[in-house]
Amino acid sequence: MNRQKRKKSSSRQANRRIFRRTVFLLAVCGVAMFLPIVYKLWYWQISRHDEIEQKAVQQQTSELSVSAQRGAIYDSEGNVLAISASAYDVILSPKAISDKQQELDAAAQEAKEKGEDPGEVLDVVETIATGLAEILDGVEADSIREKCQDTSSQYKKIATKLDATTEEAVREFMDEYDLSGCIYLTPNSKRYYPYSTLAAQVIGFTNDSGGAYGIEAELDDELSGTAGLVVTAQNASGTDLLNFYQEYYDAESGSTVTLTLSTEIQKLCEDALADGIEKYDVQNGGFVIVMDCDSGAILGMASSPTYDLNDYSTIIDAALQEEVESGAMTESEALSKMWRNKALNDTYEPGSTFKSLVLAAALQEGTVSESTTFNCTGSVTVSNYTIRCSDRSGHGLQTLAEAVGNSCNPAFIAIGQSLGAETFYSYMERFGLMDSTGIDLPGESANVIWSLDNFGITELATASFGQRFTVTPISLITAINAVVNGGYLYTPHVVQSIVDADGDTTYEADTTPVRQVISEETSQRCATILEGVVTSFTGRNAYMSGYRIGGKTGTSQTLVDDEYIVSFVGFAPADDPEIIVLVAFDSPQVDAAGSNYSTTGYYISGGNMAAPVAGQLIADILDCLGYEKQYTDDDLSGVSVSMPALAGLSESEAAEALEAKDLSYRVVGDGETVTDQCPAYGATLPSGSEVILYMGEEAPNDTVTVPDLIGMTVDQAKEALSELDLYMTATGSSSYYNSTTLAYSQSTAAGTEMERGSVITVNFADSAVADYTGQEIDD
Amino acid sequence: MAVKSSRRGLNRHQQLAKGPIDLPFLMLVLLLLGIGLIMLLSASSYAALYDRAAGYNAATGTLGDPYYYFKRQALFAVLGIVGMLLASRLNYQYLRIWSVPVLLGAIVLLILVLTPLGVTQNNSTRWLRLALVAGPTYQPSEIAKLGVVLFFSARLSKRRLGSPTFSRRWPRLLEKIRYFFYWSDLAELVPYVVILAVIAALMLKEPHMSGTLLVLAAGAAILFAAGIRLGWFALGAVAMGGVAYVVIFVMGYNSSRISVWLNPWSDPTDTGYQVVQSLYAVASGGLTGLGFGLSRQKYLYLPEEQNDFIFAIICEELGFIGATLIVVLFALLVIRGYWLALHARDRFGSLLIVGFTTLLAVQVFLNMAVVVNFIPATGISLPFFSYGGTALLIQLVEMGIILSVSRQIAPPKQN
Repeated sequence: MNRQKRKKSSSRQANRRIFRRTVFLLAVCGVAMFLPIVYKLWYWQISRHDEIEQKAVQQQTSELSVSAQRGAIYDSEGNVLAISASAYDVILSPKAISDKQQELDAAAQEAKEKGEDPGEVLDVVETIATGLAEILDGVEADSIREKCQDTSSQYKKIATKLDATTEEAVREFMDEYDLSGCIYLTPNSKRYYPYSTLAAQVIGFTNDSGGAYGIEAELDDELSGTAGLVVTAQNASGTDLLNFYQEYYDAESGSTVTLTLSTEIQKLCEDALADGIEKYDVQNGGFVIVMDCDSGAILGMASSPTYDLNDYSTIIDAALQEEVESGAMTESEALSKMWRNKALNDTYEPGSTFKSLVLAAALQEGTVSESTTFNCTGSVTVSNYTIRCSDRSGHGLQTLAEAVGNSCNPAFIAIGQSLGAETFYSYMERFGLMDSTGIDLPGESANVIWSLDNFGITELATASFGQRFTVTPISLITAINAVVNGGYLYTPHVVQSIVDADGDTTYEADTTPVRQVISEETSQRCATILEGVVTSFTGRNAYMSGYRIGGKTGTSQTLVDDEYIVSFVGFAPADDPEIIVLVAFDSPQVDAAGSNYSTTGYYISGGNMAAPVAGQLIADILDCLGYEKQYTDDDLSGVSVSMPALAGLSESEAAEALEAKDLSYRVVGDGETVTDQCPAYGATLPSGSEVILYMGEEAPNDTVTVPDLIGMTVDQAKEALSELDLYMTATGSSSYYNSTTLAYSQSTAAGTEMERGSVITVNFADSAVADYTGQEIDD
Repeated sequence: MAVKSSRRGLNRHQQLAKGPIDLPFLMLVLLLLGIGLIMLLSASSYAALYDRAAGYNAATGTLGDPYYYFKRQALFAVLGIVGMLLASRLNYQYLRIWSVPVLLGAIVLLILVLTPLGVTQNNSTRWLRLALVAGPTYQPSEIAKLGVVLFFSARLSKRRLGSPTFSRRWPRLLEKIRYFFYWSDLAELVPYVVILAVIAALMLKEPHMSGTLLVLAAGAAILFAAGIRLGWFALGAVAMGGVAYVVIFVMGYNSSRISVWLNPWSDPTDTGYQVVQSLYAVASGGLTGLGFGLSRQKYLYLPEEQNDFIFAIICEELGFIGATLIVVLFALLVIRGYWLALHARDRFGSLLIVGFTTLLAVQVFLNMAVVVNFIPATGISLPFFSYGGTALLIQLVEMGIILSVSRQIAPPKQN
């Protein structure tokens, strides 16, 4: 009983122990154990969620940047100067290639185990290396093999900007071997410049990091737009999970830019520059700027040496090529030289062209007037320095107009002195020469001019004729424009407007003048005097009949002996200037050390070299702009008339018709009525010319060979042509009958076969214009 | 009532076995099983596309059947539910008799694993085929767990309690030793320790560290609940700690696992890869998760995403809220299990439930702890969730045994 009781009580005691211990296990395994799990879940999922999720997303997604279409660049007439088209880059994924190989090997192994013939297993790397090397120019199979070695990489670029044919070939290759994933094509874009070399320095080009030069660099942000992004989920082997998660951030195309440049005018500028460089054997290239007088808009801006925008790292300029080959210049020096825009990246001594500013300042201040006279003895002494004039024997007594026309240094020193250093200096400031012009092109140089403190009497003297300081061409033409356009200083600009991808205009050129520097009246007086320079003095080689051209020549010294920059600034029409042109050639080759003549036989001066080029250019541009010719009385003898239709008329009727046109005639044959005529109906020929009437006879329809007229005087040329039944229109110099006025160029090259009665335009230039502004300063 | 019952020829045991099964426990099991199946579908569908077993063929580019894992798991789930219900109908008292052959059979199978009959996967030989040379694979260690729980519960429910009695048959000193031997439970403990040691040795040979831990945990829990003196557990804990110390710090075994555990990002592409990928999934979930089926880590980043790391996908898709809910469901199941143990009709039933419940709880804990990097990585599956047919089947049968015990709980007395 007792034992049983004890047993029972001990059993109860044991049961209680089991109960207690099970409750303990319940507390531990049912509750306590799960608490750290919940805590850890909180820690990772809430506390460190953002940070770790970001890392996770990084591995789970691939980001593909979608380049935005770069905006096009147009000229003022809507011609495309630069445009982007899509092109593709070829990317390899060595990782995918290695995976693919493993898969193929495994599949082959499996087939072998099953006793099937696995066939030949594709060597993926080798297939790609040889296949792509064949398709892609300039890509070596070895370099592809090498890139495939890095099997952890998923991105190896092997070619960029494929054209459409190559791209198609790559796609076919991928399909043939089922290589999608191993090779992929990512969209990129390629920039095309339809006019190749045209306005190269203004437009500039793009490289891998965007716009590098010119407008492409200046407006890179506007042109490039905003790149888009495609975020695609991918699995661990890098395959895109397209239907799972993909987010697009649309690319926003770049804005289109319209320039003030006109393709036609630009072409004229570049041709004129190239012709001059060849004609004068110019060593360091040159530049041409054409500006709209009433807005500061740049209509043309040429710089030489130039290059092809579509192939910007190839030297196409023969002179540069030679220098690189001879080792005188490294290739990169040559490249940066041709990429430079001489019109604003470099400065030069403006020389006599600067005198137009001095003239304007003095007329505005009233320190001189048209009736002021100057006596030039050939030299002048300024604080112990003797400064000589270009005419060593002296110009003698001159009016203001004559002093400007002769580009007389002593006269301008006197004008400068009449202004005084401070006033002179303040006009330099007001003409904008102390600041950059603010042109919307990159790399505008600062003008190198004395500070006011250092602007003493000697500096004033040399500054008066444009020496001993340097300015950028763009700042000079901007300042001289203010002299002739009514006195308004404009901000030069090449960008007309910017239109964004939505078609909204986001920028329009501001053409309000910065300031008025001189009065309209003073400006008109300056223009008149400068027109006189072209009609009668050192600028006469720029004279073109029918165009009222004004201008100023300049011959600038450089730091190197026998290297001059010859220039001419011209504007037209003189009574209401529309365009202003600055033409300069840097270093025509002298035929011997110390000589004043170029190797091609031209006297080295702005008046002999730059002026004829500029005059012709101005005429061409005005024609291009549809400007109507204006003739002075003197010009009228050279006016062109059109040939009337005379066939069927009697001789008297024909004579009457011809007289109305100021034409004379001679008769061939003895018929009653005019059966034929030379030249044909509608042909333009100079008034006063003699035409041929065929009475009952056929006009011979053979051709004649155009003679070489270069170097002939006006009379000689006319004579030579009329012998061949050809007619001459003379242009160029204002003083035809000067014995030093010689034919400079002809519109139809010598040796060309032409119909009888054709008209040949011959450009004459006075070979004896002496405007050399160089001075010698003796101690 | 009793008369009626006798007329039907039912003995008392049979009468008791006719009681209702515990509905809350059954519901929790079915709920977890249901959620587990759905999550397995989400977690495994992408991996199945690239799984040769699911029909993927690299050479032809044929993708695998995305429902491959799900379909197989669902089949075993149905078989498992049938097995569970059958087990719950069974009078668990018969398991006392079955415990010995099951345990012995398990040991024989564990030995067979080490013969060439064993199937090797991932450098571990843990599997046997159902018909030895053919059929689906299973882990004999699952049977060993079953055997240990059955045998330990059956034996320990019968243990003599109370202080040993003195006898004068022995010399005094020997008598004292004998007394201590019994008083301290040492005499009783020896066979259990030997059994556990044999099984642990066989399993470590496979190697199967996590499985060994589970068997030891289940055995220890039953010994603990049965009333073995606490000192032994303290001693066992110290011994385990000592062994672990020597293995890790002296022998340097798995030291990379330890350093990766301490800082998973120390080697994120190699040894730390699994943990880092797991944590990416867990952390990506945030509070509310990416949404069902929207895991990103399942796209071949996370290895074993349908198996040992399925909980990471759950965390990613269902977030902190969903993951915590799963944890709570498991905790409730475990608590309900122990509650049933506390109310079991006899000591055998009680210990059976303690064994199976502890087994489940520890396995859930170890799996989740690895996923959230609370402990160093070890390969262990999550009950009802991880892919693995035979394991699921055996787990559900174990749940059936618990339900069987629940049927014999006396209904609360009216008044």
